[in-house]
Formats: sequence, structure tokens, C-alpha cells
Amino acid sequence: MTYVDKPAIPKVVKFDEPNAKLRNKLDVMLNTGSDIYQGACKKRGSTLKDEYRKVAGVAYMDPKDMAKLGVSNWDHVKVISDWGEVVVNAAHSRDAPHEGTIFIPKGPWANVVVSPETYCCCDPTYKGIMCTVEKTDDDVLLMADLMRAVYKKYVKDEEGIKDLATLGEMPVYKKL
Amino acid sequence: MANYEPPVTDYDSIVENCTCAFCGCNCDDLDYLIKDGHVVGVRHACRLGASKIMEDMDQRLMVPMIRGEDGELAETDWDTALDKAAELIAGAIRPIFYGWSETSIETMHHGLELGELVGAVLDNQATICHGPSLQAVQNAGYPISTLGEVKNRADMCLYTGSNAMNSHPRHMARYSTFPRGYFRPRGRFDRTVVTLDPKYSDTAKMSDIWVGFEQNGDYEFYNAIRAVLKGKKLQKEFISGIPKEDVEELAEAMKNVQFGALFFGLGLTHTLSKQRNIDIAIQMVADLNSYTKWILMPMRGHFNVNGFNIFMAFETGFPYGVDFARGYQRYMNGETNTIDLLTRKECDVFMVIAADPGAHYPGGAIKHLAEIPVIQVDIHWGPSTEIADVVLPGSFVGVEVGGTSYRMDGVPIWMKKAIDKPESCRDDEWIIKELLERVKKIKAEQGALASK
Repeated sequence: MTYVDKPAIPKVVKFDEPNAKLRNKLDVMLNTGSDIYQGACKKRGSTLKDEYRKVAGVAYMDPKDMAKLGVSNWDHVKVISDWGEVVVNAAHSRDAPHEGTIFIPKGPWANVVVSPETYCCCDPTYKGIMCTVEKTDDDVLLMADLMRAVYKKYVKDEEGIKDLATLGEMPVYKKL
Repeated sequence: MANYEPPVTDYDSIVENCTCAFCGCNCDDLDYLIKDGHVVGVRHACRLGASKIMEDMDQRLMVPMIRGEDGELAETDWDTALDKAAELIAGAIRPIFYGWSETSIETMHHGLELGELVGAVLDNQATICHGPSLQAVQNAGYPISTLGEVKNRADMCLYTGSNAMNSHPRHMARYSTFPRGYFRPRGRFDRTVVTLDPKYSDTAKMSDIWVGFEQNGDYEFYNAIRAVLKGKKLQKEFISGIPKEDVEELAEAMKNVQFGALFFGLGLTHTLSKQRNIDIAIQMVADLNSYTKWILMPMRGHFNVNGFNIFMAFETGFPYGVDFARGYQRYMNGETNTIDLLTRKECDVFMVIAADPGAHYPGGAIKHLAEIPVIQVDIHWGPSTEIADVVLPGSFVGVEVGGTSYRMDGVPIWMKKAIDKPESCRDDEWIIKELLERVKKIKAEQGALASK
């Protein structure tokens, strides 16, 4: 059959692509969805751990896009959409090439930037969201810190969230 | 290469033929290796199933908790926690009971009674995953078969908008592609696997044919196949980025199989055309049935997400998003669904049972959860616990407690108990029943006061 040839996957990110021009900001389309590493970590229940941040707080990008932006694996990028902005790790997608598209596995990080619009069909739009990606020095937050920073449910002083101590990787509650 | 872990040999006993409590495949051939009352190894399961069953005990919810004035969760006893939850539910004007997909049908039974009593909206994870599929099924029909039929007969398996290798890892191995069936004695060699997905996913990598049409191109692509099946000539050179000759070739190949199975996932329901994508896929399957046998099946995510839909459709007539606010059941898409109720800020008490809205809802919906009391019944400390006010630790259906679940093709399966639950936890069924009793008591007191 004559379908689109299965592409070979490059193993390294090339920074010296002749056609790539370094830029600060990239307009891309965001897709979210399940991924086996995110699924395994979430279902085991290890959502507070650094492991979950590594598998769900990550934007899988095309190596060409990474070269244009000047980021390498595990550099931090800020993803900004109409609904919010979140800092995630950048990583080389194993499904590349898909220039102009990034993939963030479903989870608290992706939720910040996806659209809650259901168009009266009950289902929010988790795929095909237009957003921009830029390089940043900010840290990727752990799950508990992210929930606190974004939704501020039990925070009294909203301005001072940045100075609060991290909630850590273990459950925090008062024992009897 | 990765370092492979040696097989687990240090265990006390084996419990055979357990049912996996992860995805809609409900693999019922798992063996658990038990040591000191914990599962230390799982045979036959996929990476996802094994990791869920060998859970992370660090984050297991062990004790009931209530959020204090200072915003910190504090351990409490069962009576106090249940009373607090019952008080919230009984005093609510527009409560939502969301979740149910990772618990048993028996639990849902009590949940439905509670929902009817207080006029709640009962909804499950279908509302954020396969809801549009259920709408499409109501629009256009449900040409389904069991997975056993697929295993024994299918010579073409078509995955569309679904990455089975990542979200249902044993689906291909156990039901569709690799197993040897009665009429497919050579297994994989007797079948053609096609993946339609804009992404070159792990499933696409192992398919015979990958059609990488463009994003949001599903509707146009299926329509083109329908046109070709009806003998029309395609007017455009490219359909969703795919040359028209290739579309014709694929349509011809789909026509010339003996038994085809189309599996679709969230790639169809989460893109812009939502339920219309699935409408057209169902109609395509109907058209293909003029030539040969084709079936279609949604790739359901949780092990009992289909169970809730079947249970609710049987009990109330509607599959999900059932609203009892008027005392009788109503169902209206875009009105009685959790995400819409939350973005419109209608809900005033939210109870989540065996689900994780904190991890899977869009931020716009979680923002309202941050403004209202949230009751959580779950087994693990997750993103939802960070926004929960009352936490009730449940038990693990399929490992620590038995229960009925429905596979993605609608086959009911009994999930047996293998180990004992932690002493301080309770069965989901007991928790919901206890809440029901307590809410009934509060309502009776209110009724007695009103009649005076």
C-alpha cells in the first residue's frame, strides 16, 4: 500500500539544523491524552512523587521544535493557552516527527491549559488547543504544590504562595 | 537496554484467575503473588494493571479525615467523618455524585438510592471520555459484538483515535490482534491491523497500515470512505491530508475482509466534532455491512465505566449525567453533565467516589471545586485529596473486595477478593450505605420539625 511512509525516529536532538532559526516563542497545537508511563504512575497512586512530575508534567515535543526553541531534554518550558499557563519539562517525543504539535499526558499539569468548553456535548476539549511555548527558568511544581498554586483552595494569603514551603512528596495530615 | 528485574520468587501464596481492576479489558486471567497480606507480584498483567494492583502504600488513604479551619486535613473517627459528609449531602441544593467507574455495581446501587433521595446529579467518567460515544450510539445505533467474536473471527482490526498500546496494553494481545482464534489459527499473521491517528503512536508503529490524517480531520475522512463505499468519485485530491487514491485503496481493503472490527478511542470524542465523529464512524460501519461483517466498539477506560452506563440505563433509562433535582430522572446534554454544571458554578456539594477529578478535569471546572465542599471516597491520596474537605478511605475492588463489573463489550464479570483490606478502611458499598442511612435520619428529623 502507498500510505504515508513510516518515518524514522531520530535519536538525538540536533541543534545545528540548517533550516531551524532560534526563537523565543513557538506557536503550537497542544494535544493531551493518556500515556503508558503516566498511566502506570497515576494508577499505582504515586501522584505526590517526583516520578509523577516526570511522567505527567512533561511536554513531548518534536526535536525540530526543540531545536528552534533551543531547549534540550528536561529543560523547562512554559506552555500558555487562553485558559492558563503552566511550567513543564520538555522532552523529545518518541512519536516524532510532528512539527508544530506538542503532547502533554493528561494530569494536573495539562489540566491548567486545556479548554473546559464542552460545546453542549458534555466532553471538554482536551485535544487541539492552540498555545505558545517558551523557554523558562521557573521550576516545574510537584503535584501538591501545583494544586495549591493554581486553585488556591486553602491559601489565605494568595500573594505569598511563592514563598510557602513545598508540601513534599508524602501525604501531610494531622494524626490523632 | 533497561535492566530487567528478576522474577518474584519470595511469596507465600498465589491467588489465581483474578480480574484486573484497571481498564475496560477486564483481563480475568491474572495471578496475584501474595506475601504478608500484600500483593508483591502479578502474573499476566500489563504494565498498567500490575502497577495498579501492586499499589503505592505510601499514598494509600488509611484513615478518615476532615479538613480543619487551618486548611489542613486531620485524622478523625469514622462516625464523625460520616456524619460530616451526611450533613453536607443532606444540606445541599444541587449536589453532584461523580465517579463510580472504579467501584462495583453493588456500590452504585446504594449510590442511586442516595442520589434519588437528595435530588443529586449522578455522573461518571463517561462525561469526560466516552460521553459523546454514548450520544452517538443513541443517534446512530450500536453495532457491537463481544471481544470473543473479534478474537475468533476478525481479520481486520482498525484502531482509530486510540492508542491501545499505551492505554489498553493487553487489548491487542488478548482480544484483537495477536491471539489465535477459531477461524484465525495463525493469530497475528491472519489479521491486518490499521491505525487511523494523526499521531504516529505506539499502536501505529506496530500496525500494518498507518493513516496519519490531519488533526480534526476524522469527520471528513470517514465521510470520504463512506462516499467511496457508496460508489461515488472523490472530487478533492487530498482528504484530510491523505491522497484520494489511498482513501479509495483503504475503502476497498475494508470492503474485502471477512470480519472487521473498528475500535475507537478518545481521539474521536475529544476533538472538535465530538459525537458527530462517532456518528459518522457508526454510519460507516453500517455502510460496510452491506458488503461484509463489521463491528464497532468504544475503548472504555476504567474497568467499570461501562458498568455504570449499563446500570444507569437499566435503572433510570439514561446512561450518565442523570439529574434527580426534580424528583424524577432527567438527562440533557450540556445541562446535567458535571463539567457544564461546574463551569456554570451550579453545584454546591461535590462527592467523588473512586475517581480523580483533580487529575482529569480541565482547570476551568476544578476552579469551582475549589469554592465548594468536596467529599472524597477513594483509595489513594491524589490531586483530588488536595481539594477535598472530607476524605473517606474506601477499599480496592477486585483485590480487597469482590464486586461486579462490565467489560468494554458489555460482558459482566465478577471480580473476586484476593487479600484483606487495611483494618481502618471500609468497603465502598458500606460507606455509601452508611451515608444513605445517615442522610435518611437527617431528612426524617427535618420532616418531623417541619410537620410540627
